[in-house]
Amino acid sequence: MNKTFSNLKTFYHKLGSSPWFYKISGITIPYVALFSFLFLSIGIVWGVFFSPTDFKQGDVYRIIYMHVPAASVSQAIYYTMTVAAVVSMIWRMKMAGIFIKSMAPIGASFTFLALISGSIWGQPTWGTWWIWDARLTSTLVLFIFYIAIISLYSSFSEKKSADQAVSILTLVGAVNLPIIKKSVDWWNTLHQPASIKFTESSSISPEMLYPLIISIFGFYLVVLLSGLMAMRAEIAKREINKEWFKNY
Amino acid sequence: MTRLAKRIFYKELVSYKKRSSTYLSPIVFFLITIALYPLALSNDPADLAFLAPGITWICVLLSTLLSIQNIFNEDFEDGSLDIFFSLRVSTLSLVIVKILVNWIFSSLPIIILSSTVVFLLFLPSEALVILLTSLLIGTPVISLFGALAGALSLGKSSILGPAIVLPLSLPILILGTSAVSSFLNGENPSFYFLMMLAIFIFLLPLICYACIGALRLHYE
Repeated sequence: MNKTFSNLKTFYHKLGSSPWFYKISGITIPYVALFSFLFLSIGIVWGVFFSPTDFKQGDVYRIIYMHVPAASVSQAIYYTMTVAAVVSMIWRMKMAGIFIKSMAPIGASFTFLALISGSIWGQPTWGTWWIWDARLTSTLVLFIFYIAIISLYSSFSEKKSADQAVSILTLVGAVNLPIIKKSVDWWNTLHQPASIKFTESSSISPEMLYPLIISIFGFYLVVLLSGLMAMRAEIAKREINKEWFKNY
Repeated sequence: MTRLAKRIFYKELVSYKKRSSTYLSPIVFFLITIALYPLALSNDPADLAFLAPGITWICVLLSTLLSIQNIFNEDFEDGSLDIFFSLRVSTLSLVIVKILVNWIFSSLPIIILSSTVVFLLFLPSEALVILLTSLLIGTPVISLFGALAGALSLGKSSILGPAIVLPLSLPILILGTSAVSSFLNGENPSFYFLMMLAIFIFLLPLICYACIGALRLHYE
């Protein structure tokens, strides 16, 4: 027990060191790339070509294999950024700042993908591109948060203060996002009769579910891959004049 | 600490009194935007009465945005903030007093002015008390967010402030307008008031410390 704890502690300290991370990520990236390609292609190909057609929506529903993973990933990225923001505020770990900086554009693009694929899905099934539903609105707000974080980061010239400023904003956003979600729910029940059900009343069948799970997993791997690559690029950008980087 | 807070308070009052543009421009902005809505949408009293709570809240929100940059910027530029952060005095009282004075000068006049929507937008006069109460409870939260955005974007482009404040203020906007419209529908709006109050109490310490952290960034 004690040993695992101390191992975890050394791992945590190693995570804070950019040369170590640069080395390890360089080794793992090819494997992550391979697995993300595998999972994503299996999930998407199975879902799009081999899963049964939905009897209510027809073939349109197949966009679920992109939409649901993107939506899930877009929120998960914000949670990880919140954890990194806490780490960056308390321990001033520079890798945490690099993490937030690299993940914010990825999160923004996946949120955008979720919004776009959702509206492409909504057009044939609900007959409208956009509806001011609770879930759509809070996803849009999440997207705006990502943009605000990116623009705040880019407004600082000093990297260290940029990291801290972005951590503060990420934390305040993380506190505020549940409040926004809840208040949008109330607003929705007050202003809009629940005419369209967004969650299917019938549970999803296993033939559709398995490719969906694989595809969600593939999306997470893609996020991991792009996150590792973006962090590597950011490390290289910041430490280009350091001794270890020249000798790498 | 209270003596220090009092002194900062008077100093702020004097400096706001000298810069009349900082509290006059939100008022002008508010009146103009209120006037834009009937011109752009419709001059039918029934339509306007229906839209009045939302229009008022949006105008209040947008006009408070104008004063965000002023909360800390002047002290940052003339170096007073430097002195505050190098002296070992309570920066918490500085931040709280600054937010309070900013609210008094930028939100309070607009709240008082917003009672004119009874004539301008034909809001039913019995709903006015509800609207004013929702504004009184809701605008301090917006001032908190404004202070945070101002502290984060000190000496930066001014577009950054609104980009931070507006998404954060969505719950207040929703709750504030819902309070008035639920009253107009014959329901009890106290739920929305209590929620806004809860959000304010919850966020007050959090945002104040975040502000201090954000200000300190400029002195590292």
